[in-house]
Amino acid sequence: MDALNNLMYGFGIALEPINIAYVFAGVFAGTIIGMLPGLGPISALALMIPITFAMEPSSGLILMAGVYYGAIFGGSTSSILLNAPGVAGTVATSFDGYPMAKKGLAGKALAIAAYSSFVGGTVSIVFLMLVAPLLSKVAVSFGPAEYFALMVLGLTAVVSLSDKSLVKGLIAAVVGVMISIVGIDMQTGTERYTFGSAQLLDGIDFLVVALGIFALAEVFYMLLRGGGGKEAPRNAIGSLKLSRSEVGQIAGPVSRSSVLGFFTGVLPGAGATIGSFLGYSMEKRIAKDGDTFGKGNIKGVAAPEAANNAACTGSFVPLLTLGVPGSGTTAVLLGALLVMGVTPGPMMLEQRPDVFWGVVASMYIGNIFLLVLNLPLIPLIAKILDLPKPLLLSLILIFCMIGVYGMSFSVFDLLLLLGFGLLGLGMRLFGFPAAPLILALILGNIMEESMRRALQISGGDWSIFIDKPISLALLALAVLSLGLPLLKKRRQRAA
Amino acid sequence: MTSLSLKRLAVLALPMAALTAMTTTAHAQEWTPSKSIEFVAPANPGGGWDTLVRTVSRVIQQEGLADKNFAAINVPGGGGAVAWAQIARDSGNPHKLFATSPPLILVPLAGASRYDHTDFTPVARLITDYSIVLVSADSEYETINDLFDALKENPRLSIGGGSAPGSMDHISIAGLASAAGLDASSVNYIPFSGGGDAMTNLMGGHIEAVITGAGEAVGQLGEGSQIRALGVSAPERLSGGLADVPTYQEQGVDYTFDIWRGVMGAPDMPAEAVTYYEDLFAEMLDTDGWQQARDQLGWIDAYQNSEEFGVFLDEQQEQFSSVLSDLGLLRQ
Repeated sequence: MDALNNLMYGFGIALEPINIAYVFAGVFAGTIIGMLPGLGPISALALMIPITFAMEPSSGLILMAGVYYGAIFGGSTSSILLNAPGVAGTVATSFDGYPMAKKGLAGKALAIAAYSSFVGGTVSIVFLMLVAPLLSKVAVSFGPAEYFALMVLGLTAVVSLSDKSLVKGLIAAVVGVMISIVGIDMQTGTERYTFGSAQLLDGIDFLVVALGIFALAEVFYMLLRGGGGKEAPRNAIGSLKLSRSEVGQIAGPVSRSSVLGFFTGVLPGAGATIGSFLGYSMEKRIAKDGDTFGKGNIKGVAAPEAANNAACTGSFVPLLTLGVPGSGTTAVLLGALLVMGVTPGPMMLEQRPDVFWGVVASMYIGNIFLLVLNLPLIPLIAKILDLPKPLLLSLILIFCMIGVYGMSFSVFDLLLLLGFGLLGLGMRLFGFPAAPLILALILGNIMEESMRRALQISGGDWSIFIDKPISLALLALAVLSLGLPLLKKRRQRAA
Repeated sequence: MTSLSLKRLAVLALPMAALTAMTTTAHAQEWTPSKSIEFVAPANPGGGWDTLVRTVSRVIQQEGLADKNFAAINVPGGGGAVAWAQIARDSGNPHKLFATSPPLILVPLAGASRYDHTDFTPVARLITDYSIVLVSADSEYETINDLFDALKENPRLSIGGGSAPGSMDHISIAGLASAAGLDASSVNYIPFSGGGDAMTNLMGGHIEAVITGAGEAVGQLGEGSQIRALGVSAPERLSGGLADVPTYQEQGVDYTFDIWRGVMGAPDMPAEAVTYYEDLFAEMLDTDGWQQARDQLGWIDAYQNSEEFGVFLDEQQEQFSSVLSDLGLLRQ
């Protein structure tokens, strides 16, 4: 039991009083950062580099890792209460979390999010501990062709995310891909859809779109319906307690999504956002009551929350075992480690076991802290829904604007936010689902870049996508997941 | 209420203004900053410019080198173009600096920025990094010449880099290829979203070789590593983890490439202010705090004062535009 010995060694480090304090400070700061849209873990971690510089490397990473997974943990709160995702990884949580809150089940939704995050976080640490060195091989086996196939598989979720009309779902997805294209093309340096504006050269930030078409569109929609507080559920936070049958219902989704999320996180570039979408759409397809997803199904909250936290832990695999960052956030972590004199990579487990095992052990402690910290706060935070509607709507509006402005300090982005708010309103009024747009926006860019990279490597030969076994398997899965629901529908119609 | 508090403010503010005026006259000869210095990283937190800005600000503060604070500010967008456009409008402001490196020359040459290095005041070059060519540990190529011989036979050999075509990594490998007697545009350069991304693809066997920054690669090399270095673009051997890596020149290819980083200021910065900052940065490079941070980040000191830096930038522009025009990417 080598792993057990190592883990004990890690706990020896993580349980030092100063490190316990760092875990707590990290997850606490992370929770708050996660709740506020726009204030993401990346900028928070970059700001912390000067603080961690003088620290013992294990303590520094314990603190920073705490901020990272704490932010993903806390990001669900604003998704559920305000339909305004706090971080990109929690967009999928709002699909069912917000409808639950509207039904007066905010407390339950937040509790499910907390429990699922805890399980997803904890299960994935076990994986990180046991198989991290082996998994580094999986991470590098994904080249451009494999990523393309994975993104195609992810995009097939559009079918399950467009509830009423598949055509409208596909239209929304195409618009999402178009938005993902805006900016300088990585492969040629050509500007696309920028209309000569320097502000659009780097593309449109995902959170601007998400806050616009979810939160702002919701505000507009309520205003349009003359929401003077007539139908707002008063004092309707609801109970936090889960019944035994509810626990039974979410047990499956949480465990499946934890595993799926972890493996998505291991792949550099995939990460929490894609993990949560994959978890959500997988559960929607498996579930017998799949048609109630999007209307406040508890499994629709549990699955993405377990997946995004698991993916967050998974993203430490390539960082710590290969020394390559899989996302912007882990890139900042890598930079911080280098500044502290630790070089992550294949040799780290031997050279700096204190850092690796100390952080792994601290993650167990951090997840417990997060649960203990978040559960008692739920009734307090959920009180926000008791605000009179005009106040609540203004609050969401301010929240979105500060979030967007705080990201880029750009007034231009505020105008974009307004534009996407109006687009979201239009989509709602005409029955276009917003989720496929967001999904396509996330996947579109990586899908296109991977495809073109793969073709450049193969010299324009398309067979690269079927010659590689992983890519072939993923594409076959994509065809299946696209074909089966369509066949099912046809059969239902025939019957 | 309002008028009262305004009056109170005025009572406070007047003597303060007088005080400021006095200090200004006292230092009329020797300029010092009168408020905190905005130190702009023209990118998001986490990248090379951001690391430079934050490290410099921290060292200056820790070592107590300046009376005023250096405030790190991120202005992302357009690969730097958004920040440059903002700073260009701030002509004469002595309290505004920004971190810079080859993109300040490359981005305008590619037609993506209206402003280039001639629009700003050079303050000092601080450090440099070098390019490094990597292959996987089990690759058949032992020297840089093996790689280029193979490239002559099969121009489709894929060489990955961490930035877009026409930017640093691409220019570096294209210039190297042309020094080795190949056509610069014959390199099948595959752009990845960062050096780390490119190295992962190398380890997975998806591409044949990678060109990236030596500082970024050093952690990946050494015993038990899955990748190996063929050559580095420095004029002489580097130290530390890169001591075993031969230079291109040692292998008979006469080519060097600097990934320099430095500091520039707003257009037409007063000469006294430039002198102040030049001296400040020269002093900073001598401190223990800087040397420690520099070694950890794998940087190599390469100080040049304002005048030298300005000349150097002009030379770089010439060199880059000739490679870019060979590649057909010159859009100026």
